[in-house]
Amino acid sequence: MAPSLWQLVQSFLLIGLGAYGGGMVTIPLIQHEIVDKGHWLTFSEFSRLIAIAQMTPGPIAVNAATFVGFTQGGLAGAVVATGAVVLPGLALLVGLALFVDRLGEDGRGRAARWGVQLGVVSLILYATWNFGASVVVDRWSLALAVLSFGVLVGKEGKVHPIVVILTGGIAWSLLF
Amino acid sequence: MNELPHPDSTITPPPGPIRLTAIFWAFARIGAFTLGGGLAMATVMRHELVLKQRWLTDEEFLAEMAGATVVPGPIAVNLAFLQGRRFRGWMGALAAVVGTVLPSFLTILAVALFAVPFFDRPKVATFFQGCAVAVAGQLAFASYAFGRKLLRDWRSFVVCAAGLVAILVLHLHPVWTIVVTGVLGLLLFRPGEPAAGAGELE
Repeated sequence: MAPSLWQLVQSFLLIGLGAYGGGMVTIPLIQHEIVDKGHWLTFSEFSRLIAIAQMTPGPIAVNAATFVGFTQGGLAGAVVATGAVVLPGLALLVGLALFVDRLGEDGRGRAARWGVQLGVVSLILYATWNFGASVVVDRWSLALAVLSFGVLVGKEGKVHPIVVILTGGIAWSLLF
Repeated sequence: MNELPHPDSTITPPPGPIRLTAIFWAFARIGAFTLGGGLAMATVMRHELVLKQRWLTDEEFLAEMAGATVVPGPIAVNLAFLQGRRFRGWMGALAAVVGTVLPSFLTILAVALFAVPFFDRPKVATFFQGCAVAVAGQLAFASYAFGRKLLRDWRSFVVCAAGLVAILVLHLHPVWTIVVTGVLGLLLFRPGEPAAGAGELE
């Protein structure tokens, strides 16, 4: 049974609120709301949705929201589902922004900020490890990943990252 | 592709306020040219905003990345909000968020209308598999580019290692990782560090 617009908003507000730390974390949450709870998609339709959301540009949660919203509620469904998935984070950021504006540029603030920035580096390293382990499965994929890294380092600022990614895709479809 | 100076060269902010349309188009390019979302788009965003437009420094970029990570929701959208607001206040934030979301939105509408069977073809899947492998290299590059700037002495290595232990070994939530490294920074670094000029931009 197709959901009402309000049901779509509720589900995607929850997905937006629970979506922490990037796309991979969000997938089980989307599955819970869309397949297990809402029964709006079957599991195989859901698997295809995730494949499409990963293959198209943009955040997975946004892509999934637009896709489910559109197939279940037309253009209006797409708009409200997409809005609902980004709303919780943005609302919290408005609050956070008003608070951070009060934090001065004092010495302790700088030291803490350096620590926080290093924490982000830890998160990116973790994402590299986590994502890398899921896609680097043999020596060919290892070679392509290392080569992409090398080109980005060697030609920093000169080659747009998307060029490297598309080249990887083209090379892969020619090789396999 | 035009030559861009190395990111370590002095940043000269563009004169006058950044135009809203410029913000919108910069973020629309980021939204259109990012596969994988989240942390994978950090490299594309840095290329567009830090290296190409020079609207902000690597340090400022990372500070906002932290803010975008601690609140829920897609990191790319949160980051667009924070940076848009830095560039042109609330209207800038709106332009950046709409710019980031619109390419994905239109792509998905087009796919849902015309192209769902296209994604079932094996060659298409292989193509995107290759893209994903290259994204792993892109993530490694983001670690390198930011680590190079921030890992300056043994203390910064300790803080970063603690963050890795928090998320990789203890499986703590990303928010707690940021809290742990922030508190460690407060304890380990002297107030006022990093001193401006010590390998920093500006």
